[in-house]
Amino acid sequence: MSVLSPEPAAAGTAMDFTRVHTRRSLVLLAIGAITGIAIAGYGLFTAKGTRVHGVPPEAIALVNQRPILRSDFITQVQTQYSVRFGETTPAQRRQVLDDMIDEEIMIQRGLEVDLPSFDPDVRSTLVAGVELQLFADVLAQKPTAAQLQTYYDAHRAKYVRDGVMRLRDLVAAVSPQRPLADARRDALAAVAALRQGATLDNVLAQFNLADSRRLLDSGHVDQGDVFDFAARAHLDAAVFAAARVLTTGQISDPVAAADGVHVVVMVKRVAPAQRGFAEVSNEVWRDVTEDAKHRVRVNNLKYLRSKADIQVAAP
Amino acid sequence: MTPLRLSRPRTRVAALGVVLCAAAALIWQLHVRQIEAALVRADPDQAVAAPTLVNFALDRAPALYRRHCASCHGRDLRGNHTLGTPDLSDAIWLFGLGDLPDIENTLDYGIRSGHPKSHNITDMPGFGRIGQLSAAEIQDVVEYVYAFSHADANPEAVRRGRPLFMDKGSCYDCHGQDATGNVDYGSPDLTGHSGWLYGGDRQTLFQSVYDGRHGLCPAWITQLSAAQIRELAIFLYITARRAPHAPTGAAGAT
Repeated sequence: MSVLSPEPAAAGTAMDFTRVHTRRSLVLLAIGAITGIAIAGYGLFTAKGTRVHGVPPEAIALVNQRPILRSDFITQVQTQYSVRFGETTPAQRRQVLDDMIDEEIMIQRGLEVDLPSFDPDVRSTLVAGVELQLFADVLAQKPTAAQLQTYYDAHRAKYVRDGVMRLRDLVAAVSPQRPLADARRDALAAVAALRQGATLDNVLAQFNLADSRRLLDSGHVDQGDVFDFAARAHLDAAVFAAARVLTTGQISDPVAAADGVHVVVMVKRVAPAQRGFAEVSNEVWRDVTEDAKHRVRVNNLKYLRSKADIQVAAP
Repeated sequence: MTPLRLSRPRTRVAALGVVLCAAAALIWQLHVRQIEAALVRADPDQAVAAPTLVNFALDRAPALYRRHCASCHGRDLRGNHTLGTPDLSDAIWLFGLGDLPDIENTLDYGIRSGHPKSHNITDMPGFGRIGQLSAAEIQDVVEYVYAFSHADANPEAVRRGRPLFMDKGSCYDCHGQDATGNVDYGSPDLTGHSGWLYGGDRQTLFQSVYDGRHGLCPAWITQLSAAQIRELAIFLYITARRAPHAPTGAAGAT
């Protein structure tokens, strides 16, 4: 019986959309179902990564369902034999294909044994590879002169030439025999003597001061030039603050610290200086790129972490 | 409102029409898939020699080009000096010799795209930025390069620039001693006979040498199907071979 056969007169014809028509509904349902199945089947068997029995057109081979791309194969053949693909022999192509299949098998084996989880070389290569992909856009962008200038203006402190100081850090040590008040008195007297031209050795002996030995070079008191950053790292904070404002030949006022009262003798001082944009434009260029790479890395890690299931035991 | 009523014969005709249309669309899709598969499976030489495949590709590629490539290379394929994108309407290629596999490889993986298989072994360094050449030396190198295509170059600067090109700057290493470039590295011809990516005036050349260049082309393998990439490759291949002074024959520009 045809599905398009008429219903009883009371029900109307199939195309009479003012009435309910059971057969029409069934026909439309069937058409919809068949169309849906067809679309799903088409998508299922043509989507990338679909498990298929035949080799898809874009692949030259499938190894455990992973394709070796035809375009990669052609490039590899041309590269290996340095001739155009059309000029290679079947044996040459077969050799290349065998090599590529072998490589794919080894890669799959590496993944199977979870090589990235324990081989540091594989891990670092993977990290480097991912970073390279992340940074591709950053590396492609060349900052303009205006962008460099803006960055320089916003980060002027980064482009200061570090100062250099050659100094002696003397200390009137506090001890049970010399309380703080006595140490301060000796330091004040030493400062006055030094400012009047007394020699360092005499002052050290006369007022019982000693080198703090904060600045050492191979175990000996460093009497050479020291960059500001090194002096900052070694000297007491208050002592460094007093030292950095001195000029060559100046003697600091006494500075109280945990181990006693210090006096700084600035033998030579080259103060920090702001470097001009023209001088540092290459560094600015590098810093702009590095900052952009850092931002990309941080943002990507933030996103990846948000997707990752990370469980941390109490460290 | 008058209810919709159709007579039985008209109903049958309509239903038959729908079925026939669906069948025709399905058959057409299968046909297209078949040609796409043949296009992708064909060896490069066969793909560009078979009229059916070439015509199929040329019918479909322009729309793909407009959608994915024209924003950088221009609707007329002539490139863009501001972006440094090359002219695709000529027979001059940065990477490879213009054979179908060369074009296809570039489309697949791009240039410095971040894809590990992209063309990324070289990069134009910023010789001024890295301090390998001073600004004055770069001006001399620029004058040396400028002299290949201009008669008004300063001969003194050209004389000074040549050893910088050949020695301290190491320019010859990528661009060749005759400055005609190297398609293995993607280093362009500097003699001016192949046009310029960013422009051949002194100021642009100076900027190229001082700041370096880092041209980029995306890897399309993740966005286009193998058939679409081959269609585009054939389109570019055929366009190049129709260009003036293009190599002849279907075997490729070797």
